[in-house]
Amino acid sequence: MEAEVIEAEMVLPQHLSFKRVQMSEKYPKGQARARWKLLKQIIQAENYQNYPPNEPNYVNIESPPSMYPSKKFCDITGFEAPYVDPKTKIRYANADVFKHVRALPNDYVQRYLALRNAAVVLK
Amino acid sequence: MAFINASRRPDRQSDYRYIPRSRPIVIDNGGSTFRIGWAGESEPRITFRNVVLRPRHKITGETVTIVGDHDPALLKYFDCTRSSHRSAFDSNVVYQFEIMEYILDYGFERMGVQGSQVDHPILITECACNPIQSRSKMAELLFENYGVPSVAFGIDAAFSYKYNQQLGICDKDGLAICSGFTTSHAIPFVSGEPVLEACCRTNIGGYHVTDYLKQLLSLKYPNHMSNLSWEKVEGLKMEHGYVAQDYASEVQLFQTGTKEAKEKTRCWQLPWTPPPTEVPISEEEIARKAAIKEKQGQRLREMAAAKKSSRISDMENELQGLEFLLNELKTVKENDIQTFLSQTGYVSKQEIESAVVRVTQSLRRAKGEPVEVEEKTESSASEKYSLINIPDNMLSPDQQKEKKRQLLIKTTTEGRQRAKQKRFEEELEKERKNQEDEEKRLENPELYLEELHTKHRDLSEKVEQRKRLKTNGSRTNGNQNLSSSVGRGERLNAAQKERMRLLTTAAYDRGKGEDTFGIKEEDWQLYKLMSKDNDDDDEGPDDDEAELVRITSRLQDIDPAFIPKVDSSSYQTVTHIRPLSKEDFQITIGVERFRCPEILFQPNMVGVDQAGLDEMAGISIQRLPLKGNGVEDRITSSILLTGGSCIYPGMAERLEAGIRKMRPFESPIRVVRASDPVLDAWRGAASYAASDQFLLQTFSRQDYYEKGEDWLRRYRLRYTI
Repeated sequence: MEAEVIEAEMVLPQHLSFKRVQMSEKYPKGQARARWKLLKQIIQAENYQNYPPNEPNYVNIESPPSMYPSKKFCDITGFEAPYVDPKTKIRYANADVFKHVRALPNDYVQRYLALRNAAVVLK
Repeated sequence: MAFINASRRPDRQSDYRYIPRSRPIVIDNGGSTFRIGWAGESEPRITFRNVVLRPRHKITGETVTIVGDHDPALLKYFDCTRSSHRSAFDSNVVYQFEIMEYILDYGFERMGVQGSQVDHPILITECACNPIQSRSKMAELLFENYGVPSVAFGIDAAFSYKYNQQLGICDKDGLAICSGFTTSHAIPFVSGEPVLEACCRTNIGGYHVTDYLKQLLSLKYPNHMSNLSWEKVEGLKMEHGYVAQDYASEVQLFQTGTKEAKEKTRCWQLPWTPPPTEVPISEEEIARKAAIKEKQGQRLREMAAAKKSSRISDMENELQGLEFLLNELKTVKENDIQTFLSQTGYVSKQEIESAVVRVTQSLRRAKGEPVEVEEKTESSASEKYSLINIPDNMLSPDQQKEKKRQLLIKTTTEGRQRAKQKRFEEELEKERKNQEDEEKRLENPELYLEELHTKHRDLSEKVEQRKRLKTNGSRTNGNQNLSSSVGRGERLNAAQKERMRLLTTAAYDRGKGEDTFGIKEEDWQLYKLMSKDNDDDDEGPDDDEAELVRITSRLQDIDPAFIPKVDSSSYQTVTHIRPLSKEDFQITIGVERFRCPEILFQPNMVGVDQAGLDEMAGISIQRLPLKGNGVEDRITSSILLTGGSCIYPGMAERLEAGIRKMRPFESPIRVVRASDPVLDAWRGAASYAASDQFLLQTFSRQDYYEKGEDWLRRYRLRYTI
């Protein structure tokens, strides 16, 4: 290990005195590391339906969809967008923006739509 | 800068052994930063970004762990291609406990922990309604691996509220709106305790705002994508982001291009070096260079002259030799001609004569005298084409071949002459037309200009239309599978339509149930028609475009006020011809300044179908189990804004306006910002842990094992002690 790296104390030391089991023992080198459950799986495993519904848990404190009708804004400029391009489904504000929309390559179109979570995802 | 202290590693604390074992360690385990310190202090000792990087050392090959921020220069010793910054969080829940362990290791190590275990009670923050699995794994980690005697879990927003309550900023009944890294919560407080049943969470936080800004800027400036790193964009967001009072009207300002909009637009100049300008050369330099050039020219000219004179003398010698030969020939007798000639290498007298002619010609040309080529060709023409006029049957087969050759030569030379003539005439014609144009212009400049303008307009429209058709057609082609079997509704391209029409009419013509296409030879001409249609499309516009270019240049010459309309086909018009200027390296942020933080209030803008911050307040008040007694009014008159993602200017006013929309007329609304939105959670936790009753709220290892998971699920901290 280079001198300046050691001096900067950048790297976590291998052995720490206050630990009962060191990381190298717990996750030995070469062995596949544990697969951790993602949040979705954790929530599923919690079985919140078995518990009374008025008890707060991770799922039922989530916000409901918005009450107000959503205003549509242009994907490219951010202005108010009264129009939608039927081919690409991008919202645009006026004719100049429309020219740009039509001139966009396809992957940019998908990226703009992905900002709105409206991209076509092919699995 | 607020809370990113990049590349400064926190120092190792050295006073661990002086601190009594009863003093708790307080940890604020946040989505963006990890803070750890002692209870009762006002600042956390150690703060770092809650990420882990596991690169491989280039030389030794071992995988090391780097927690938090680091000096990017030192990374050159490591191979970071297969590793990226990893966080232990998924949304706001800890799920990756290996990474959590690295982070805790680092935190404790920096705190200077000595001994064989971490022998202090620990207060650690978690998210609201943390799933039991995450909670139990965290407790297990702390108990098993670090030997911690007792642990307490609390909600960071609640600690922040309690701290501000102590400071007098908010009352014991109120609402905490905490906007964090990945989520935002609205938690009502009644009598000093959070009412978790009425808590509300939206999955939008500072991370989403930064990500939105990053995507927008990358799409707008694709050339500068390498400059738009996450850290840089976060810096931009913190410096320039603000929340508009009313998004629609603010956007109107920008759309109409008012002066205020220009003032609000910020510009980021990227580092750019202008190309080195040419140093103006002094007079002497110019004179010297001219002299050198002159000398070189002189030398070249001398060399050329010398060569020329030597060539001329050679040719004269040759000519003399040939003439001498001719003279000799005259004197030699008939029989000896062949033998004599074979010595010299010429086959016949004619050849010698033609050689003489050639040499004299080139001599004359070299000397610079006009050459009479024409009559030579004339005479040789009659000689060459001598065989043409003689009919075939009188000639031998060799002579017939000869005749054919002469015929060919004659036609080609005649054709060449005709073409030359035509070209000459065309040039004359063009000259004449230009003359007329000039006269027209001189006599009536305005009318001429008008005509030129209209012509330009029409042509440009035509060209654009054709371009549009072409790109639209090719786009549809590209979107489908570039094969001829396109779906029925999508044959928008004119060429494709034509093709289909031809094919269907061909198929239709037969009828009678049987397909007899192809029996007749003419049927296959159909395909020739179709491909011709396709080709026509590409060649036609070229003349129009050439004409357009000519007219544009003409207009630019004559009319000083004419500005050709640039066809901006790309979002950022950078033509490759002109050199890059300063403006190309500027990133302007105008609408994005308030468009990105707007997603906190309107998550629909990024496709998250949940309520925004202002609505969340209303929803959580609605969810309160015990209403009445004016508790709602008390709550709305003490609304606290806390969390790292709520420091945007203008947020408090916006929130107030939003909440007023939902509350009855003239209800008291007061929105206050926490004294330090970023650090208050830790400070609240520290002051909470410093109180004597704290230890009653913790649970020990035995509790954890004896009472089981169900107890842990119901474990809730009491915040007023």
